[in-house]
Amino acid sequence: MMRIIFERSGGFMGRKVSLDLDLATLPPDQADAVKLLVAESDFLNLTALPTNVSAPDGFAYSITVETGTIQHTIQASDANFPQALRPLLDDLLARARSR
Amino acid sequence: MSHHHSIFCILPPHMLDQVAQSGTTAQRDMAARTLAASRQIRDRRGSITTSVMRGSITATGTAQRTVYDAKFGTNLPGSIARKEGDAPVADVAVNEAYDGSGATHDLYSVAFGRNSIDNHGMNLNSTVHYDKGYDNAFWDGQQMVYGDGDEDLPASERLFNRFTISLDVIGHELTHGVTQYEANLVYKNQQGALNEAISDIFGSLVKQYQRDQTADAADWIIGEGLFTANINGAGIRSMKAPGTAYNDPVLGKDPQPAHMKDYLTTGQDNGGVHINSGIINHAFYISAIEIGGYAWAKAGQIWYKTLTEKLNSNSNFQNVADLTFQTAGEIFGVGSLEQIGVKTGWTEVGIAVVDSGGGIPPIPIPGGDGCLKGLLRSVGLAK
Ligand SMILES: [Zn+2]
Ligand SMILES: [Zn+2]
Repeated sequence: MMRIIFERSGGFMGRKVSLDLDLATLPPDQADAVKLLVAESDFLNLTALPTNVSAPDGFAYSITVETGTIQHTIQASDANFPQALRPLLDDLLARARSR
Repeated sequence: MSHHHSIFCILPPHMLDQVAQSGTTAQRDMAARTLAASRQIRDRRGSITTSVMRGSITATGTAQRTVYDAKFGTNLPGSIARKEGDAPVADVAVNEAYDGSGATHDLYSVAFGRNSIDNHGMNLNSTVHYDKGYDNAFWDGQQMVYGDGDEDLPASERLFNRFTISLDVIGHELTHGVTQYEANLVYKNQQGALNEAISDIFGSLVKQYQRDQTADAADWIIGEGLFTANINGAGIRSMKAPGTAYNDPVLGKDPQPAHMKDYLTTGQDNGGVHINSGIINHAFYISAIEIGGYAWAKAGQIWYKTLTEKLNSNSNFQNVADLTFQTAGEIFGVGSLEQIGVKTGWTEVGIAVVDSGGGIPPIPIPGGDGCLKGLLRSVGLAK
């Protein structure tokens, strides 16, 4: 199993966008695609970023990945967002933004 | 004798033009020299300032703008799309960033005598087309960054237009730079909400100045034009009526408070910096309306002096209330209409000003006239 809890807060408007994604609820091919994004970003081995970097009006991001045995959270902002996580972020944002 | 109640009097150029075209030869010469001197140091667009009291020009420096294109990626600054002096390009976002940073530079230069973000002529760098579906704009500590809103979604699902569409957003972002070089307010809790309000205040003044609007004629909306037609809202925030800027099935209702009793304590958004700024925004709005005229000329002057000379990184709501009141007394006189206007603004949002004394005693202004009369008199066209 894998669950991803995603949140984007702050920004010019201060509006929160969030997503609680249980991969078991996705079609298998989509679930596999998300798992691949998590694996390719090496998410579970990324260490915490400095939290004191916040640009005025920049977004703050929080991504938590839960598996059966592990829970890992990365928090970052527009000013220090890791490049390796961009593909996963793009996917999560697209899901969170779609209505 | 010229009047003494204000430091700067700011006039649209058409008024000076009028002076230059009438009166005696000597009067016309003086007005013409003022216009010429102003125009030498300013670009073609805006108004000019004249200090009636000192008879000197206070506009400062020329804008040095560069607009970059991130081409929907996240590497900053991106590639150069237009630099200072270049003709407009085909890309509307590039031109908006260029013109908007120019308009912001103008307000700071003309109204406050400030030479760019750092007051030392710092280059104004902007990046447009940042990221894909990036419905935001921010100041990264060195430059302005603008997304294109929901350009990646089908038109029927888009909530946001490109963020350069709104001039007050550009003024807002650039003002974060000014604040960084001045008070350097912590971006959290009350300090952060004050930081946000300062950006909204001066962002709104940029728009009012460009439109030549007095306080009562301005809409006081922040982020006008940012929402697509799919959203029910005038903009992101309303300084005139916080909490009423939008009310929409998708976005919900504008959450801004207009009074301390509704101050929101939250862990989100650095302690609700974009929420609680409504309280300060509204206090400024009320003061500007109470004082009357162009908001940048008096209320803006009080806030600019407070920001650049008195606030520090830890200043909270009570501090800025007390300090703007004190500053109004210093500029316009203790018990002046301007100082009372500032106090009224704070009272209406639930902040009681603590009067620490100081300031200058009120000076009677013969005839109680404003800037225009003062200017006319200074060139001999009025008594
Ligand atoms: Zn801001
Ligand atoms: Zn005056």
